[in-house]
Amino acid sequence: MAKPDTGGPDSESGLPLLRIRGLGVSFGPVDAISPLDLDVHDGEFLTILGPSGSGKTTLLRAIAGFQPPSAGRIEFDGRDIADLPINRRPFNTVFQDYALFPHMTVRENVGFGLRVRGTARRQMTERVDIALGIVGLEELDSRYPAQLSGGQQQRTALARAMICEPRLILLDEPLAALDATLRRQMQNFLKSVQRQSGITFLFVTHDQSEAITMSDRICVMRTGNIEQIGTPRELYYRPKSRFVAAFFGASNIVEPCRIEESRDDMTVVSTPVGTFSVKGPPPENTSGLALAIRPEAFGSDAETRMNSLEFEVAAVSFVGSETITELRHRNTSLMFTMKSRSDPAARPPETGSFLRVGFDPAECALVTGAES
Amino acid sequence: MTVGAGRSRPGIGDYLLWSVIALFIIVPLGCFLAYGFFSVVDNAIVYRPTVGNFAELLSNPSYRATFLRTIRMAFEVSAINLVLGYATAYFIWLRPPGMRNFLVIALAIPLLMSYIIKIYAMRGVLGTNGLLNSALMALGIVDEPVSALLFNLTAVRITLSVVLLPFMVLPIYIALERIPASVLHAASDLGANELQTFTGIILPLSLPGGIVGAMFTFVLASGDFLAPELVGGIEGFTYGRLIFSQFGLAFNWPLGAALSILLMCVALGVIFVARRLGNPRWQR
Repeated sequence: MAKPDTGGPDSESGLPLLRIRGLGVSFGPVDAISPLDLDVHDGEFLTILGPSGSGKTTLLRAIAGFQPPSAGRIEFDGRDIADLPINRRPFNTVFQDYALFPHMTVRENVGFGLRVRGTARRQMTERVDIALGIVGLEELDSRYPAQLSGGQQQRTALARAMICEPRLILLDEPLAALDATLRRQMQNFLKSVQRQSGITFLFVTHDQSEAITMSDRICVMRTGNIEQIGTPRELYYRPKSRFVAAFFGASNIVEPCRIEESRDDMTVVSTPVGTFSVKGPPPENTSGLALAIRPEAFGSDAETRMNSLEFEVAAVSFVGSETITELRHRNTSLMFTMKSRSDPAARPPETGSFLRVGFDPAECALVTGAES
Repeated sequence: MTVGAGRSRPGIGDYLLWSVIALFIIVPLGCFLAYGFFSVVDNAIVYRPTVGNFAELLSNPSYRATFLRTIRMAFEVSAINLVLGYATAYFIWLRPPGMRNFLVIALAIPLLMSYIIKIYAMRGVLGTNGLLNSALMALGIVDEPVSALLFNLTAVRITLSVVLLPFMVLPIYIALERIPASVLHAASDLGANELQTFTGIILPLSLPGGIVGAMFTFVLASGDFLAPELVGGIEGFTYGRLIFSQFGLAFNWPLGAALSILLMCVALGVIFVARRLGNPRWQR
């Protein structure tokens, strides 16, 4: 990346809580993380999102101290902590497998951080009670981890990480082992705990929908590099690279793409399937430029939209709340996908029929980079 | 055979397996138990039930002394091995993975060797001109060979400790191996220093392995007769040798069986206690 794109409202609170500069991790000759910069601001929910092998967990492990970095600085509250041993780092971790102490009860697990600091017994009981109250495990405090459900173990791990009142908690894919329903519940729960406690969460996941629903900001990683940082809306609607576009489901990629003109926060590009207006200025680097259109951007009310296209309907599939229509472009035979809200009153388009669809300049984005 | 759900009636396979178990395990054990209640008159076994053997082994002070001495010796061997074995297992566990596997295999190889050869080897080590004495003399610790290393109860303790060490190290090592790395990370993440992680996490999670090892060591040491026979001399007369002498020398099988039954009860008791201790509540 040309300039450090750490994103976020740097100016409003001065220094970020966690400031990472040039942090790299190598396993022998392989760079698991290429030197990167990242700022985590006080009180935010920042998600590191990436597929497996993107280096997201390695980054978290380097911050936690489990993985020694090969280069760079990790500053917490203005102090370099890159050389601090794990047990002296001023934040705590929730592990993917929860890593509860199997020989300790819920209460003992949660109180462990206080016990090793020599906290007085009475104070410890009080603080553990408060933490158990927050995660709703007051009733189960004498159970052993093996006697808990996945969600309860998860809550225990969270309470244990919160007990020492850290300003930052690192969470390594904590919901990966839960089933879909429970995961959604825990997403809401984690988010509400984060908001109420004001603790900064640095959360790692490979699940983009999870990242979107929970995060204040998302940092997308790919092969050891930061691909883009931004709010969920920015990444969803204004992806900068093909990788991010594809990761957030903007699956219609049109290339090659040439910039015709740009003015007033609007760029006009010509593509093999027509000339379109795109919201925003053109990217600085235009190598591998392509147009990414979200499947749900297409609407059959083509006359009211700035951009329109003529298609032949290739296939229609009803998937409940949505109807997915596969479209073949009339002149080039390029395939597109349209996602629309299912309408019980309307008849779905017939296969082989022609369909004119439109989309708005704000619902497509110019992306660059190699194919994902 | 009878694998399959919903099958309630035992098939021919079940009968076969049960008859094998009965023929080779239950019947011999039953015979052995029965012999404990017979007696010997004029070098012939009298097959009339009596508790005379048990009465004798409980009242005879020399049997009692041998029994208590042996139990104590086995307990000492277990205690020494628990400390040595834990240190060894912990050391191996801390090595890098390749070295770890090499050391575990190196530790297991002696288990494949003949027991009697290992005892002879220990006799060579402990003897007047043995390895240990040569080493002590070379180091200038003693001026002349120490004869006290062999043919006494200490020689039995040392020999059994060495020979039974793998039975202690392996279960402890397996327990250590089963501790997830993330659990140890979690401990330091929460602020525990190395000593706190060891005493608070590693030790309690691996001690059940040590209890299993101590059980193995105790049971094997208390019943052993070869090591005491070969390195114990007169002083190292143990309960195992007492039993052996009833069968091999005195031709008093009933008394030997009765002596064995007492030892078996002790072993079963130890196994029962070890099962409870080695399987703490949080594991169930």
